[in-house]
Amino acid sequence: MKNILLIAGKDLRLAFRDRAAIILMLAAPFLLTLGMALVTGRLTSPGGASSGPSNIPVLIINRDGESLGNALVETFQSAELDELLEAQVVEDEQAARRAVDEDQVAGLVIIPAGFTRSIIPPQGAVIDTTAEPVKLQFYANPARPTSTAIIETILTEYLSRVEEGRVIGMASVFQMLTSGVFTPAEAQAYGDEMRRQFSESADETALQDDEFGTLTLKVIGAPEQESVQFDVMAFMAPGMALLFLMFTVTYGGRSFLAERRQRTLQRMLTSPTALPQVLGGKMLGTYLTGVLQLIILIGSSSLLFNLRWGNFWGVLALILLAAFAATGWGLLITAFARTPGQVSTYGSAVMLTFGILGGSFVDLSALPEPVRLISRITPNAWGLDGFTILGLGGGLAQLTRPLLGLFVLGSVLFILAVWRFSRRRDLIQ
Amino acid sequence: MNKILAIIRKDLILRFSSPAEWLFFLILPIVFTYVLAGSTFGAGSDIRRVLPVVDEANTPLSRQILAELEKSTFVRPELTGRAEAERKFGERTIAFWLLIPPQTTQENLRGGEVALEFHTQPNNLDAVSAQAAIRAALRQVSLTIKAAQFAVQQAESRKPFASAEEREAYFQSALNLAQRFQEQTPERLEVTRATTPDTVQYDPRANSSAGQMITWVFIPLFGISALLAYERSHGTLARLMTTPTSAATFLLGTIGGQVLMALVQMLLLIGFATIALGVPWAREPLGLAILLVSGALAAAAIGTAMGTLLRSEAQANNLSIMLGMVMALLGGCWYPLELFPAAAQTAVRVLPTTWAMLGMTDLLLRGENWQGILPEAGVLLGFAVVFFTLGIVRFRRQFF
Repeated sequence: MKNILLIAGKDLRLAFRDRAAIILMLAAPFLLTLGMALVTGRLTSPGGASSGPSNIPVLIINRDGESLGNALVETFQSAELDELLEAQVVEDEQAARRAVDEDQVAGLVIIPAGFTRSIIPPQGAVIDTTAEPVKLQFYANPARPTSTAIIETILTEYLSRVEEGRVIGMASVFQMLTSGVFTPAEAQAYGDEMRRQFSESADETALQDDEFGTLTLKVIGAPEQESVQFDVMAFMAPGMALLFLMFTVTYGGRSFLAERRQRTLQRMLTSPTALPQVLGGKMLGTYLTGVLQLIILIGSSSLLFNLRWGNFWGVLALILLAAFAATGWGLLITAFARTPGQVSTYGSAVMLTFGILGGSFVDLSALPEPVRLISRITPNAWGLDGFTILGLGGGLAQLTRPLLGLFVLGSVLFILAVWRFSRRRDLIQ
Repeated sequence: MNKILAIIRKDLILRFSSPAEWLFFLILPIVFTYVLAGSTFGAGSDIRRVLPVVDEANTPLSRQILAELEKSTFVRPELTGRAEAERKFGERTIAFWLLIPPQTTQENLRGGEVALEFHTQPNNLDAVSAQAAIRAALRQVSLTIKAAQFAVQQAESRKPFASAEEREAYFQSALNLAQRFQEQTPERLEVTRATTPDTVQYDPRANSSAGQMITWVFIPLFGISALLAYERSHGTLARLMTTPTSAATFLLGTIGGQVLMALVQMLLLIGFATIALGVPWAREPLGLAILLVSGALAAAAIGTAMGTLLRSEAQANNLSIMLGMVMALLGGCWYPLELFPAAAQTAVRVLPTTWAMLGMTDLLLRGENWQGILPEAGVLLGFAVVFFTLGIVRFRRQFF
C-alpha cells in the first residue's frame, strides 16, 4: 500500500508542477468559464434567473371602456401577473405601435370600442350574429417570441372566460325559451339578469359552483422548498471543469506509457514493487489529480460567482465519483494505446466528443433522444445532471441517480481496463 | 522554391503520420458542425415550454384535454410516466408537470368537479403562464357540460321536471345547444406581427458551419508555435540553419505549409456544409476566398509569434488549444455575438476570431458581397502583419 501511495503522491506532484499540463488542467477551463460569464452577462450582473421571463413590457389601449374591456386591463395589472408583466395603459396608438416596432415593448393590446357590447348586448338589444365580431387586437413583437407567446396565452385564457360566460348564458336562455319553461317576456327579464351577472363577474370565472361539471386545476407547490433562482454559472462552471477533467485523466495514462518508454517503469519493477502496485499507484495518482482539479475549479468559480451549492456533501460526492468515472475512461484509453502520443491524441478526441455529448457545449435537451442516450457513457452528462440538481436547490437525496450512474460507469470502465492491462505482455518489455 | 516545397512536404508527412490526425482535421469538425447545427434545427419552429403530462386516465376526456393543450402558444404537452415526472420534479430539473388523474372521465365530470393537479416549483414565472394555458384548455373542454348543467338547474328552479328521463332529455338538448354555440364562437383575437427587425441574425446551420470552421482551423494554425518549439527544442532548427537555407525559407515553408493545409481543411468543411447542410457558401466565392486567406494568415501569424515565446512543444500545444477555444467562444463562434452584452460585443473586437466570424456571417446571413467584407478582411490582415512582424523579429533575434 505504501508503494502505491508513494507512486500516487509522486504523480500528483508532477502533474501540478507541469506548466504545460496546468494550462489545460486549470487555466483553460477557468478562462472558458470566465468567457462564458462574460458572454452571458453574468460577469456584470449578480445571479441569474432562469425561472422564466419577467417584467414583460406590454402596452394596452382600452377603447372599450366597459365591463369586459376594463376586466381585461385589470387582468393584465393583477397581483398574480405583477411579476410577469409590466402592463401600461396608453392612449396614443401610433406611439405605441412605434414602441413595438422599435423593440421597446413585447406587444400592444388594443381593446376596440364596442368589444363588451358585441358580447353582452345592452338591455333590450339583441346580438347581431351576422355582424363582424369585434376582435381584440394584439400587435406582437416578433423579436420577442416567448414574451409574445405569454401575452397571447393570457389573452386566450381571458377570452375563454368570456366565452364560458357567454355560452352558458345563451344556452340557458335559449333552452328555456325553446322548451317553454318561460315566455318571451320572461326570457327578456331573465336575459337581462344574466347579462347583469355576467358583466359583474367579468373578471372571474362565470360559475364557481362545484356542482357543475368543471375541470379545475389544483396547484400543488413543491413541499418545504425555498424559491431558488438557477444561476447559469452553476451549469457552466462544472461543465468546463468536467470537460477538462478528461484531459487530466488521459495525462495520467500518458505518464504510465511514458515511464515505460523512458524505461523508468522497468527500473521500478526491479525494485520490490509489482506491476499491479505500479498500476494501482498510477490510477490513484490520476484519480487524486482529477479530484484536486475539480475541487480547485469548482471551488474557485463558486467563490468568484458566489455560487451556492446548498449541500457540501453532495458536491463532494459528485466530485469524487465524477473523477472516478473519468479516471476509468483514462485507464481504458491507456490500456488500448501503445504510445503516449496515442493516449494524448485519442484522449483529446474523447475529451472534445464527451464535451459535446455530455452537455458542456450545448443543452442536452436540445439533442435527439438517441444522442441523449449515448451521452450516458460520459461522466460529463451524469456530473452535469448532478450539479444542475444541486444548483436548483436539490440535496444529497436527489443525487442518487447521477451518483449511481457515475459509480456504475466508473466500475465498468475499471474492470474493462484492468482486464485489458492483464492481457498486455508488452508493458514490461 | 524546392526547399520551401520540401519543408511543406516534411510537415505534411509529420502531421499525417498518424491516422488519428484525420480526427481533428476532418471528422470531429464535421461531427461538431452537424450536431451543433442539428441540435438547434427545431429551435426556431417551436419555442413552447415543454409541459410534462402524466395521463393516468387515458380516457376520451383526457385525450381531449391533451388535444386542446396542443393548441397552446406557450406550452407543448409531452406525455411521461408519473415516476419519471416525480423524480425530475424532485431533482428540480423540471419546473412543473400536470397530472390527469384516473377519475378524469365524462361520467365523473357530469357528476361535478374533476380536479387535475399542477405541480410547480415555487415562484416560477413560466408556471404562471403555463397555468393560464392549462386553465384555458380545461375551460374549453368542460364548457358544454357545464353550460348544459347550468341550464338544467335554472329550468329546475322554475319548474321541476316530471321525471328523470325528462331531465336527461333537457340536459341533452341543452348540451347540443351549448355545443352549437361553442362551435359558432367567432375568433375574438387578431394577432398581427410587427416588422420589428430581429437584432439576432442567426441560422443554426450557417453559424455552426462558420463557427466550427474557425475553431478547428485556428487551433492547428496556433499550433505552428508547437512546430517551432519542437524544431528548436530538438535542435533540428539549429541544424537546418547550418545548411544553405535561410530563415525566410524555413518560415515560408513552415507557415506556408500550415496555411495551405488550413485552406484545404476549410474547403473540405465548406464542401460538407454546402452539400449536407445547405449552407450558401458558394454565393460569393471571391469574398469567401478573401476571408479564408486573411483569416488563415492572421491565425498563422499569431501561431508564429507564440512559437518564438514558448519554450516547450507541450506548452505550445496546450496553449494553442486553450487560446483557440477561448478566442472561439469570445469571438462568437459558439454563440451568436448579438446575444452578448453590449460591452462584451465591443471588447471582443480585439480578437481575430470575432472579425473572421463577422465576415463569414456577413456573407452567409447579411447577404454582403466581396466589397462588404473588406473591412473584416482588412482587420484580419492587420493582425497578420502585426504578429508576423513580431514573430519574425523575435525569430531573427533568437537565431542570428
